[in-house]
Amino acid sequence: MQIAVSSAAELPLYRQIMRQITDAIAGGRLAPGEKLQSHRELSEELVIAPLTVKKAYDELESLGYIETQRGRGTFVCEKLPRANRADQRERLAETARSLLSQAYLAGLDLPDALELLRKTHLELKPEKDKS
Amino acid sequence: MTPVLEFENISKAYKPGAPVLDGVSFHMAEGEVLGLIGRNGAGKTTLLRLAMGMLYPRSGAVRVFGLSPTEQPIAVKKRIGYVSEDQLLPGGSTIAEIIAFHRYLFPAWDESLERQILQRFALAPDAKIRHLSKGQARQVALLCAVCHRPELLILDEPASGLDPAARRELLETSIQLLNREGTAILFSSHYMGDIERIGGRVILLDAGKVRLDREIATLSEEICIAMVPRASVPDIAAIERIPGCLRVRPVFDTWHAVMEGGPENVRERIENTLGAAGVNCVPASLEELFIELVGGERS
Repeated sequence: MQIAVSSAAELPLYRQIMRQITDAIAGGRLAPGEKLQSHRELSEELVIAPLTVKKAYDELESLGYIETQRGRGTFVCEKLPRANRADQRERLAETARSLLSQAYLAGLDLPDALELLRKTHLELKPEKDKS
Repeated sequence: MTPVLEFENISKAYKPGAPVLDGVSFHMAEGEVLGLIGRNGAGKTTLLRLAMGMLYPRSGAVRVFGLSPTEQPIAVKKRIGYVSEDQLLPGGSTIAEIIAFHRYLFPAWDESLERQILQRFALAPDAKIRHLSKGQARQVALLCAVCHRPELLILDEPASGLDPAARRELLETSIQLLNREGTAILFSSHYMGDIERIGGRVILLDAGKVRLDREIATLSEEICIAMVPRASVPDIAAIERIPGCLRVRPVFDTWHAVMEGGPENVRERIENTLGAAGVNCVPASLEELFIELVGGERS
C-alpha cells in the first residue's frame, strides 16, 4: 500500500496516516486479514518518527481497524467496525461547507444546491430511487 | 530507569547580568527524539554544549546517563555522538584517514555500519575533506558521530545550509539509527518541517527559558491561534487572563492569541468570557506557533 504524508498539510502526520489506511480499507485496497508494514518499516519509508507511526497504529487498533498479533505483525481486522458515525459526520460537515460556499460564490442558492445533490444521488444509486 | 539526559535548573551566563540560560529543566528518556527550537541567541547551542561537557553551568546540574559530563568526560563521551553546524574537520585529510582516527578512538566502532553509510552517501574514502561539498562534509561528520553506536546523538543544527535532498538523507539516517539501535536524539533546528517529521517532542527555548515542552503528534490539536478584532477587546490583559492563554501579540488591527485547546472550544471560551464577536480560531503548524510565541509585535 502506498502512503504519502506532508508536513504542509492541515492534519497532523499521525492523522494523515490513519486516514490513508482507513481509506484504503474502505476502498478495498487493503483487505481484511492483510498484513501491514511494521511501524518501523513505515517510519523509515516515510522518514517520520517511529513514534508517530506507532501512534497512528495504536489509534487504529483502539478503533478496531487493525490488530497486532504478538510476534507476527499487524493485520487488518477480519471483522471491521461499523463506521463511526460521529466521525463521518464531522468529515462530511467540512465537505458540505466547502460545497455550499462554492455554490453561493457561483450564484446558486440553497434549492439549486439541493437539486444538484439530488441529481448526484440519482447517478450514484439510480435503481433505488425509481419508486 | 535513569534518564538519558537531565537538565536540572540550569543557568549559564557568559557575561554577568546577561543570562543565556535561566532555570532550564527537562529530562530525556531512552529512544526519545527531542527537537530543540528557538530564535537565534535563545540558548540552544549553549544547552547542547553543556550536555557535551564543553561548558560548565553557572548553577544547576547536567547529567548524561546519570553522570556528570564535566567530571566523567570519557565515560560520557564514549556513549554520545555529536555533530555541530560549525564543526571543522581537517581539510587536508582524506575521509578514510578521519574515519581511521575515530575507529581508533572508539573501541565499539561498527565497521559494517561505517560501510553502509559510506555507500548510502556515496562518499569516496580517498577524497580530501577540503574537496567535499558542505553536505558531504556534514555526512562525514555524521558518520563519525554514529559508528560507535551512541546511546545519545546530539545534533546542533545538523541541517543548516544543506539542500532539501541532503537534509532528507540526514533524517533518514537518524531514523534508521533510532529504529535499529534505540538511539535517543537531541537536535536543534530552524527547519520546523524536519522537527514535525522526526521529532517526538519539541522544546521551545525563549530568552533562556523553556517556553513550550510538548508531544509533537498532537500539538496542532491541543493548541490553536485565536484572532480577535482589537476593536471588540481593547485590553490585551483581558485576553491574557483567560485560562490556557500562552501569549497575545498585536498584529495590525487584530490580537493573535496562542491558546490551549481545539479551535471550536477556544472560540467559545473567548466569546463567552469577553463577549467578543468575530473571533477566528485556526489550528497552528509548528512554524506558525513558533512565530506567534516568540515573534515580535506587528502594528
